This record gives sequence, C-alpha cells and structure tokens, in this order.
Amino acid sequence: MDLFIHYLTQPYLVTGIIYTVLITFFGLIGGGVLGIALAAMQLSRFRALSVFARVYAVIFRGTPLILQMIFCYNALPMIGIKLTALEAASLALALNEAPFIAEIIRANIIAVDRGQVSAGQALGMTPFVTMIRIVVPQAFRTMVPALGNEAVSALKNSSLASVVSVQELTLRSTQLASATFDFFSIFFASGLMYLVLAGSIAVVQIVVEIMLDLDHPDPKARFARLLPWYRAPLPVEADTDEETDETATPLPPASRKAIAPLDRQKRAEAIATSRPAVEIENLTKSYDGRKVLDGLDLTVRLGEVVALLGPSGSGKSTLLRCINRLESWDSGTIRVLGRQLGVDENGLKLSPASIANARAAVGVGMVFQNFNLFGHLSARENIAGPLRWVQKLSPREADRQADELLERVGLTHRADALPRHMSGGQQQRVAIARALAPNPAVLLLDEPTSALDPELVNEVLEVIRRLAVEDGLTMLISTHQISFAKDVADRAIFLADGAVVEQGPAERMLSEPSNPRTRQFLQIMNEDPEHTV
Amino acid sequence: MKTTGTTRTYSLARSTAGAFFAVTMVATTIGGSVLSATTSAQAETEIPAACADLQAKYPDLKGKTLVNAVNPHTPGYEAIDPNDPTKYIGFDIDLGEAIGDCLGFDLTYKAVTFAALLTTLQAGQADIVISDIYATVDRAKAADFITYLKVFDGVLVAKGNPKGIDGINTSMCGAIAAENTGYVEVPLIEALAAECEKLGKPAPEIQLYENNANCIQAILSGRADTYVNDVNTVDGAVKAYPDKLEKATAVTLPYSVGIAVPRDNVEFRDAIMAALTEIQKSGLQVEMMKKWNLPEDQLETPKLVLAE
Repeated sequence: MDLFIHYLTQPYLVTGIIYTVLITFFGLIGGGVLGIALAAMQLSRFRALSVFARVYAVIFRGTPLILQMIFCYNALPMIGIKLTALEAASLALALNEAPFIAEIIRANIIAVDRGQVSAGQALGMTPFVTMIRIVVPQAFRTMVPALGNEAVSALKNSSLASVVSVQELTLRSTQLASATFDFFSIFFASGLMYLVLAGSIAVVQIVVEIMLDLDHPDPKARFARLLPWYRAPLPVEADTDEETDETATPLPPASRKAIAPLDRQKRAEAIATSRPAVEIENLTKSYDGRKVLDGLDLTVRLGEVVALLGPSGSGKSTLLRCINRLESWDSGTIRVLGRQLGVDENGLKLSPASIANARAAVGVGMVFQNFNLFGHLSARENIAGPLRWVQKLSPREADRQADELLERVGLTHRADALPRHMSGGQQQRVAIARALAPNPAVLLLDEPTSALDPELVNEVLEVIRRLAVEDGLTMLISTHQISFAKDVADRAIFLADGAVVEQGPAERMLSEPSNPRTRQFLQIMNEDPEHTV
Repeated sequence: MKTTGTTRTYSLARSTAGAFFAVTMVATTIGGSVLSATTSAQAETEIPAACADLQAKYPDLKGKTLVNAVNPHTPGYEAIDPNDPTKYIGFDIDLGEAIGDCLGFDLTYKAVTFAALLTTLQAGQADIVISDIYATVDRAKAADFITYLKVFDGVLVAKGNPKGIDGINTSMCGAIAAENTGYVEVPLIEALAAECEKLGKPAPEIQLYENNANCIQAILSGRADTYVNDVNTVDGAVKAYPDKLEKATAVTLPYSVGIAVPRDNVEFRDAIMAALTEIQKSGLQVEMMKKWNLPEDQLETPKLVLAE
C-alpha cells in the first residue's frame, strides 16, 4: 500500500500523464478534423470522393493501431518525413480515429429527419446553410455519447505509443517495473491514473450533454442540475400550458374581409385577367419505370387557389415537390413567374446551391404534411432563422416579423416553445407562418391536415382560408378535405395516374363531377368519415 | 577529470504546430525538469588520452547530440534509475557515455521495445544502439555490430527448479520457456524440438513477451517454467525474489554483445570502434564492469560482426 501511494504520487509517472493527454488530445483533434472531412466526402454527391473515403476507412479501420504507429514512426522517415515520437504517435492515432469519428458523424447526420432538410431547401436555404443551421446542431446533440466513448477509447489507445518510445504513462510504468521489480504497485497506480483520466472525460461528456439539453433552456439550471441537492422546480406550466393540450387553440378574431362571403364571380374575373404564376407543360416523371407524372399540363394564375384532389399515388405530392424543385423530372418544363427553377438561361443544370438561391428569389413557399419544423428551434426561431440566413434580415427585424406572423396564426404565447412541445395543429400553423415569412409568390400545401388529429384540422384550415381571402395568396393545395376545397378553392383539379382527369370551378366540379373517376373518388371520400370533417 | 554529466532535456519543442509549443510550455511548467526524460551518465571516469587524437580524426562528431535507442528493461545494463526515474543507468549507459566523451558527442536516449531496437536505427530515429543486444549474423543484415562483451546466459527457474532444467538442452522438453520477442535464445530453444521428438518427448513451448519484467512475471505467476537470458539479468531477478526464483545454471552462448551502428556509415563505425578500443586499453571498461558487477572475463576485444 505504501508503495502504491509512493508510485501514485511519483512525479515520473504523474508527468507521464502529460504525454498520454497530449497524444489523446492531438489524436482526437486530428481525428475529428479528418473525420469531418471523411464524413463530408462520404455524404458528398461526388462519387469519387465517397469512394476515396470508404477506401480510407477500410485501410485505417482494418489495420491495428500498433502497426500504424510503427509505420508513422519508422516508415515515414524513408520518404523523408521524420516526425518526433510524439508527433508520429499523435498522427497515427488521428489517422486511426478519423474513420471511427467519421462514421459517428455520418450516422447522426443521416439520422436527422429528412423532412427538415426538405423544409430547409423549400425555404431557399443552400445545402451548406441547411447543414450548418439545421442538421449539424441536431446531429451533434445525438453524437455526444458516441464521441465520449471514442475519446475514452483514444485515451486507452494512446498507451500503444509506448512502442514508438513516447514517454507516456504505460511506457513509464513498464520501465519503472523493470527497474524496481515492483510490478503490481506500479501498474495499480498507473491503472488508477487512467481511471481518473477516463473519469474526467465522462464528466466533460455529462456537462456537454446537459448544456445541449434543449428541455432545460435555463442556463443557470443547466449547471445547478449537476448538484446532488438540486431539485427540479415543479412543472408550473404543465397544468396551464398546451404542452399536453391537444385541443384547438383559438385564432385571433377574423377580419371583416374574412367573414364576408366570397364573391366568386368577382374573384373569377380578377383571376382570369391576372398573369400566370405557375405554368407546367407536358411534365413527365418516372420512379423505377413507373410513371408518376404523365405529360401533365397546368397553369395557375396569380391569386388563384387550386385544390389538387386524387387518390394516393396519383402524383399530387410529386407535382408540388417538382414545382419548387425539391424533385427533378424527366421531361417537360415548369415556370414560376416566368422563370425556370433548376436551369440557367441556357438550359444548363444548376448546382444545388444555385437552385436554392433561385428558389428564394422566385418565392415558392411549401407546407408539408408532417410540418417539418426544425426540431431544435423554438417556434419564433423556426420563422426568424431562415429570414436571417436566406433573406439576410437583421436579427431584430427577423424577430419582429416572426412575432407578427405568430400573432396572425394565434400562437404568440407559444413563441418560445419547441416543436415537440406543441400540438400537431400548432406545429402546422407555425409551419405555415414560416412558409409565409419570405412573402412567397406561390404557396404549395402538401396535404396540410392529413397528419392531424380530427379535432385539430379546422384550426389549420381556417388559417389557410384566411390567407386565401385576406391576402389573395396564390395557393396549390393537395387535400382530401372536399368541403374545404369547395369552400376555399377557385378551381379543383382531379389527378389520376399522373395526369389531369378533370378540372373546373371548385364548387361546380366537386358537386357535379362529369368524369366517372372523379365521381367515384368523391363518393368514396364522402362515405369515409375520416375525410369529411 | 570529471566527465560531463548534465541532464539533457528530451525536448518536446521540436515540433511543427504552434499548439504543440503552447501545450509544451504548459507541460513544462507543470512537469518542470521532471519531464525531461533522459539521463546523465554517472560515469566519473577519466577520458583516455588517445581520445584527443580521435576527436581530431573525426571532427564531425564533436559537439553533436546523438540518439541512443535502448530497451531499458535490463537492470545492470540499462534501466531507469529507481531513485530518479528521469535517468537511465547501467553498464551500457556508462559505456555509451564514455564513448561519447571520448569522441566529443552527447547522447540522448530513446526507449523502445527490444524488437524495435534495430528498426528504430534503420528508420534513422536513432543513431546508435547500445542495449545488451547480441551481435548475430542475422541481425547484421539490419546494422553493423562492434562487439564488447562475451555472452554468459543464466537459466532462471522457479525456486527448487521443479522441472529439473539444467541448460538449453533436452531437460527443457515439454517445459514452457518465457522469452523476449527477438531474443537469440528463441531459435536456440526452438531448435530443441527435433531432439525432444527423438526422445519421444514433447517440444518446449515458447511464450513471447515484450520485456524482461514480463518474462520474470511469467515465472512468478507459474505461466512459464524457465527464462534464459543474460546471466547478470538472471542474477538480478534472483536477488529481487530470493524466495521465489533461482538460477538453475549458467551457459555460454556462441555470441557477443555488440554496439549497433547504421550500415551505411563506415566512418562513424570506425570512430566508435576506435573509441571503444581506447576505452578497453585504458582499463576504463573493466572499471565500469566492476561497478555493475559484471565478471571481468566477460570482456571481449572489439571485432566487427557484419552481414555475410
């Protein structure tokens, strides 16, 4: 025991820790930088890069670290790169850690909801901005535990640096054991030192996890929570707040315009003379040889509200996603306000970043069936964030607009709530506000109420109705809500097998369809209570 | 005259990144001089007079700092000083310092596994290897050797020699021998397999370890029956564990201990050999051998062992 204490406090061993920590530190930093590069390469749309990254991973994950250390130390000098032992060991550890860290990064990036990426794209965010603002913050939160693991494993792996003569803890322990024959006291002492180091990593990990915990937004409480005597305050909100409340929240009182009955005649006249907002010609698209869009033609005029109806698989969603270039198509053209998205004046294909800029410039907003709010951002940030990143508004102006929009959709009191603490209806209202924020020329709504509980459908439909009436916004809505379509849409379009089967003024077509397929579809819709709220 | 004995710092500072430097500064502050990992020679000895002539003949070496790769797990030859672990001590260390003093260069030390001694030299990560390594023709493919000691091996066994082992012979049939990776004893013991088979006995089994301490532990923990190595090392182990270990016998091996130098530098080899010759002539080597309890008849006149 005396010997154990002696070696535990011996400066020779204790300073060996410095080398151990240095190698671990440089190994992790280098591995992190390389890992980010490798993950980016693997996720890249350029095949050569991803192949290179995979080959790298096979080599450096597939050979023992001890060989890589010896290689960096003894083989590199043959090509004129002579590193010190510490540098060689750090380099080898970094090279070895990189593919492991890359896979952690890649796995967590892939795990971020694809819908949020689509939402970012639809808002005109470039792939880079989407990655930095949306994907990485959420991926990082989930990768912390795995990175903690990796740090501990790197710490232990640093002991292999003893083979290339780095004076780290393990080498010093074995040398001391050889000279003194006090085998066990020495190794118990160095074992304890490793435990303390690994323990420190665990503490860092816990602190980081707590700091990143979105459910504890109060910065003081983040650290206070670490203290054993800390008791979480009683959840005051739980009783009064809507966190668990799934019933509808009221909208602000409707304007006079919204209450007044629609003058359909007047609207139709106005629309007939306005210029086209969306022009689609002969649009064709196939998935795995199955035609989803089959020579579709459609023109939507400014101020017009068009309801897209049709059985699932009829191509409604695909059509909407094509309009703002979230998907590509095989042939045909789509013009939004006279401009083609995705190609330049000469018809050449644009890069994803240029398409994003074009999307933002033309102004096509999109509302998704599953809301696709950014999970790590509050309601206000979901709206204000893209305004800052895409439209380059000042933070203050972005917040002001966000608050204004939240007021319009009746959610001022939920401005600081995270999406997962809101009801589906509230989330969809925030999503609509977000899509409206950049003042789009056209708003595409992809089955906006299909994922909602029946009692929440009406609050969302009312928001959409007011947009049509109060703002005169051009909208394409794919929906199963027949009565809503009849009430709000100027024109109804029935799609089947990727083509327009029937179209006409909504009220007339939905009451007296002329095509037998439309008739059959409407009949089924009317019989199914799920779709007749 | 007292030879130079200043502590030389194993400097972290020779590195590229600024971050390295910053952290090093912190490390140095914390560790202080303790961080410096190498040694000073404790040889308080006279430099032979002829050394002045050698320094004149080989002026390139003067004032240089060379790297000596050692496997510091052999107390008596090279190990860290238990009283001051920042230093290496032992006969080989003293001999290296004496050669350095004679030719006017300083030495720093690089601790590696036994098997890595010559690869470290080949990679240019070290300039010289003085680490109780036997000069064999096989090893001469990796480095040139200048011999300085004869090889006397001891056979280390558990107290009472339960397996009755009495040398590298058929008494080892069926026994388990602990050896270091790369040691010359390994092929000698392996070669017993045929003889054992003739006698209808099982061949000896060899367990390979990284250093002396692990081999000795293998006998202490009952995993191995014997460990054949330099007699002074074996004596040291018996001294450390008199109740558990004993030396069964001593054997002579047809080898010499040698200093390994790079194969492509004849001038350096000549200089080392000349200095070693002077150190032996002046009686300095015998003096150092006495200090480390090596029998005087182990001394060998320098000769070259080169690849065939």
